[in-house]
Amino acid sequence: MSTPPVPPKPMTRALNCPQCGAALVLRSMDRAVSIVCENCHSILDAKDPNLRIVQRFEAALGEDRPLIPLGTRGKIRGTDYEVIGFQRRTITEDGIDYSWHEYLLFNPFKGFRYLTEYNGHWNDVSQVTGLPTADGMHAQYLGKSYKHFQTATARTTFVLGEFPWQVRINEKALCYDYVSAPFMLSSEVMANETTWSLGEYVSGSDIWKDFKLPGSPPAPIGVYEDQPSPLGAKAGAIWLTFVLLASALLVVFIADAAISSRDVVFRQNYAFLQNTPGQEPSFVTPVFELKGRTSNIEVETTASINNQWIYLNYALINDESGQAYDFGREVSYYHGYDSDGSWTEGKRDDSVYVPSVPPGRYYLRVEPESEKQFGPIQYSVTVTRDVPVMSLYLVALIALLFPALLISWRTFNFEQMRWAESDHPLVKFNNSD
Amino acid sequence: MSKGYLAYGFMVLGLLAYGQFRGYSFSTVNEVKNVPRSVRDNPGSYRSVYGSYHHYTGGK
Repeated sequence: MSTPPVPPKPMTRALNCPQCGAALVLRSMDRAVSIVCENCHSILDAKDPNLRIVQRFEAALGEDRPLIPLGTRGKIRGTDYEVIGFQRRTITEDGIDYSWHEYLLFNPFKGFRYLTEYNGHWNDVSQVTGLPTADGMHAQYLGKSYKHFQTATARTTFVLGEFPWQVRINEKALCYDYVSAPFMLSSEVMANETTWSLGEYVSGSDIWKDFKLPGSPPAPIGVYEDQPSPLGAKAGAIWLTFVLLASALLVVFIADAAISSRDVVFRQNYAFLQNTPGQEPSFVTPVFELKGRTSNIEVETTASINNQWIYLNYALINDESGQAYDFGREVSYYHGYDSDGSWTEGKRDDSVYVPSVPPGRYYLRVEPESEKQFGPIQYSVTVTRDVPVMSLYLVALIALLFPALLISWRTFNFEQMRWAESDHPLVKFNNSD
Repeated sequence: MSKGYLAYGFMVLGLLAYGQFRGYSFSTVNEVKNVPRSVRDNPGSYRSVYGSYHHYTGGK
């Protein structure tokens, strides 16, 4: 049985700054190329036995305190690392500076890796071992495609600790970022050297846990370029689910159509003679029987009207219990011709569902109304038992569609926020006004 | 989320199937109890609540 390697104790060497005499701690030993005095901000050549001063910078106006103090040790992906360097890098767009922080981590066996932080968003970054390929819009690495996000010139604006390269304030690098959330592939071009690195978005709370830091991390602001969408792949999955549910809706419809009896239980033609003075217009139909379970009935009215209307007060009355269902229906049809051309309004037939009618013996009381000058109006009444109601299917379809549309909208909104900060915003705003 | 959506979808379908089975619809119908049997012989003795409906007499 093998035992896991024990992380070595910190190997430090005590030095003093040749500029101010402050104590320096060299944590990565011979791997360090530069070391920065925290007291006087002198950048020193760590390879020089006398710690030659390479550069000094004035940090009074740009002092930055690392959220993870130098020397803090933590476990990243199962490996112990120590924070040995900290730098702030800045890009300027439209006259506005945008800065992020980079923490250099070191393990004697694994080497270096970085944590980057921007507005509370963190990435775990390490240099890639292979060589990615890139054109203007995409980069490929290990079979994965990354979409170009941004190209910008970054300059170093603050440094602390030690680095395995010769750091300089105001040193510039052309940075290309390609994203495929939660990963970000970046290249930095300095002079004739191109360095590729791969970052993975990590939560601040994980960092705090990994390094056992007190308090809580700063809350993330906005959406970061490789931040995984909280809805992510769900947008695609939800539409697949919608297709499944819409198919199930179709099955329900077919089954409903198959089991619905659609029995025509009553049909009769009538003529409304409204010029008979003193005659009661209302009448009742013969009794008809509604069989089966409690279900609906459809009452259809068709009238031979021409620029006329007829209104029918209906009451479906249970002959045994006296339970009545009152409803009124108007049938009107108008047509004509004017300067806009021919027009029509209304139609000659009407249909209404009476919901949840128990089985039993029923009759209809019908009371027609119309204009006296219309003369006799022929109309027919048809009662059909147990009919599928299409409006319920429409409501169900909308109810199924709504969450899918909502998720898609939220996903688009998230991606729009992500790409708003890129060279390729999804929505472009005209700021010329 | 799609599991939740699936559960929600099946709930919608279940309500739909139950509603169709029970004959629900969005129609406005006024229910009246204990209508006397005499209505069959004297239909004018019963007046529907829809009798005062204001009719549209227009056209374009």
